[in-house]
Amino acid sequence: MAGYIGSKVVKALITLWLIFTVAFLAARISGDAMDFIMPEGMNEEAREAMTSYLGLDKSWLEQYWLYVRNVFHGDLGTSFHFRQPVIDLYTQRFIPTLTLCGLAMLLSMAISIPLGVIAALKKNRPAGFLIQSAAFLGYAVPNFVLAILLILVFSFHLGWLPSSGSDTMMHYIMPVTALACTLIASLTRFSRSALLDVLSQDYIRTARAKGVGNFSVLTVHGLRNAMITIVTVLGLQVAALVSGSVVIENVFSWPGIGELLVFAAIKRDYPLLQTGVILVGTIVIFINFIVDVVYVLIDPRIQPGS
Amino acid sequence: MKGTKRKAFFAGVCTAAMMVLSTMAGAAEITIGAANMREYVDPGRDHSNVGSMQYINTFNTLIGKDPTKIEPEFRPEIAESWEMVSPTTMELKLRKDVVFHNGDPMTADDVVFSLERVFHPTYAPYVSISKEYFDNMDRAEKIDDYTVRVHTKKPDPIIVTLLNVSESMIVPEKYIKGLTGDPDVAEDSDYDAFALAPVGTGPFMITEFIAGQKLVWERFDAYWGDKPDIAKATVTRINEMAARITALKNGEVDIITNVPPDQIATIERDSNLKVEGMQTPIFHLVFFNTNNPKMADKRFRQALALGIDRNLLNEALWYGKARVPEYHTFPQFGELYDPSWSTIEYNPEKAKRLLQEVGYDGTPLRFDTSATYYTNGFLAAQAIKEMWAQIGVTVNLNVDDRWTGSDGDMEVRNWSNPLYFPDPVGSYGTMWSPTGARITANSWTPAKPEGYASYQELWDKFRFSMDINDRKKYYREIMEYVADEAPYSLLYQPYESYGLRKDVNWKPLPGHIPYVLDFRKGNITVNL
Repeated sequence: MAGYIGSKVVKALITLWLIFTVAFLAARISGDAMDFIMPEGMNEEAREAMTSYLGLDKSWLEQYWLYVRNVFHGDLGTSFHFRQPVIDLYTQRFIPTLTLCGLAMLLSMAISIPLGVIAALKKNRPAGFLIQSAAFLGYAVPNFVLAILLILVFSFHLGWLPSSGSDTMMHYIMPVTALACTLIASLTRFSRSALLDVLSQDYIRTARAKGVGNFSVLTVHGLRNAMITIVTVLGLQVAALVSGSVVIENVFSWPGIGELLVFAAIKRDYPLLQTGVILVGTIVIFINFIVDVVYVLIDPRIQPGS
Repeated sequence: MKGTKRKAFFAGVCTAAMMVLSTMAGAAEITIGAANMREYVDPGRDHSNVGSMQYINTFNTLIGKDPTKIEPEFRPEIAESWEMVSPTTMELKLRKDVVFHNGDPMTADDVVFSLERVFHPTYAPYVSISKEYFDNMDRAEKIDDYTVRVHTKKPDPIIVTLLNVSESMIVPEKYIKGLTGDPDVAEDSDYDAFALAPVGTGPFMITEFIAGQKLVWERFDAYWGDKPDIAKATVTRINEMAARITALKNGEVDIITNVPPDQIATIERDSNLKVEGMQTPIFHLVFFNTNNPKMADKRFRQALALGIDRNLLNEALWYGKARVPEYHTFPQFGELYDPSWSTIEYNPEKAKRLLQEVGYDGTPLRFDTSATYYTNGFLAAQAIKEMWAQIGVTVNLNVDDRWTGSDGDMEVRNWSNPLYFPDPVGSYGTMWSPTGARITANSWTPAKPEGYASYQELWDKFRFSMDINDRKKYYREIMEYVADEAPYSLLYQPYESYGLRKDVNWKPLPGHIPYVLDFRKGNITVNL
């Protein structure tokens, strides 16, 4: 297991390095950070002073080397616009994003797995058809459209829910729902098809032939095996969840890292953007790592290292 | 006995209730949903439209100005009095009762420190302000604890104006230097830290600041001047326009900024809400890169300027509430504001003739615009494209959030020129003077004006003439010259609206630069 984890960590680090390099280059190719620092008429002399102050007069190679070196010294840089260490900024905003994504994930699992089971069991009945259709619809509606729709109905017209900020529990309802919707939809569909797939296997027939009750067949034999697919999808969806939160946080003025990332991308705040990308990359890689470990736990056929 | 007790209790409750009621008005708290917020609070390095809202409540200038009047009417603020003791030296007597929010008394040392940090910056973010505002400032000097002198290089007709701008507001020397490192030296890291934990002398102190997200002002009880009518104001960033309007309707906030013209009706339909607005002292404009061969002929640029129907833009995009200017002038210029003549003209026939003279061959122009940065900016660009098509010029709109103003291949783009301070130097000057943004960025190389050795000479005549009539005369010469050179063409002064709950009495004041949220005494009250 240790060797298995070790090789995963090495792979993760290489992936992170690649992600970081792409982010470093993409940020610079797509625009000059100086254009976003007082763009409304900065005198050229002042522009030069700022350029050298921020170290942007150095070549890309030099900037790259300096950044990598600083990262190894535990310094992730200082934001151009905020003039504070980017790590402080992300620490400040990490919890709100984690809460938002975590709740969305729990909500999705709580809703979609039972729905998926019902849809699978009532495959050719109206209930199954209804769930399938709803799932398709949920998958098709972009989360920002849903977010605006929720705001329109529950804040603008009904005045029941607050539309921006994260001060109270009431503030969580709409962002979590909007963020979870796509995940609920895709997870329902995957649970359904995974379960259907499993239920058509020989060992299910064997189990039934042995006289195992319907409920046991479904939970012990059916769901347990279907979980492998569900966990895989869940792992893959984490990336979608995190990128979805970027949009959702902006719509609901949610003080999380998504809002900060959008700011960093628009303003070409390189240190802020690079660190953000590394951070999101780390989260996604970490979750996938957890998924890999969970595989081993739920499916004894998968051997670590194989 | 029982009855007496009950009566006494009742009387007590009544008195308490009355006391509460009488202090309620002053205890009001309000919340503001702002479209954008700055990542720092430091008046010395901020001249952005986003940041301008933060300063008037937190800090003081040496010389004040009545914000309710559109024309400049200066008045004492931290300086009780001032006089010119020589053509290049102003002496200012300071109030003795000014205290910083951290409890430190304010003295001449703080004033000299505040001014010197922007006159002779050691911190790169101050350089821009230093060049654009304080280029003619020589130094600030302490005479005694409550007297300072400000020396200029040449006699300066706008020295009073410059000591009124938010960029020359007073900040605490000891506090700043002590934030990091050596407590006797102002290091870069001190300025970085100050901008996140700002301390001033203003009527409100900032008790919470989350960069770019939230700012909380609480009334400062030791303020030297009139105490404000509200106890607390919280600004939070609500970037999405629909979310902002919803938050207002929903009672989450009391004031929202940046209401686009087409949303005014939505707010006014709600009986609890109202809209306040004014023609903001800022111009939206298009400018041309005269150093791009395609744009090099001034007659071509003149034709483009003549081809824009600004009144139509105003009617269609601003419901007629914007202001089409006569030339680069604002009523805020006071004595220098003269609407009796004009250089702006809409004349498509003349434009066509000029294009014929130039022999324009129909090559499309690239018009750069951001999708959302300026209110109505993209719509205006689309409309101008059609207007130019009518005079025979083809345009490709290039929608890009990048600032392309300094790119050599830029041809045409939209922009804005705010009023940074109430003088042509503070609007036309920062952008179009020889040291302004456009010439230094090499998008305009001015031709020699007739009768002068250079544009610099003409500009200096205007900049440094001490007589108001001379300044008027030279500004007119500059305006006529620049209309002929046509490196840019003004569109309009936009109308900026705010949404408010009906029980909040506040409106933007004409004496301020754009987007200032002034909550000082008398400028905001809440009905209960």
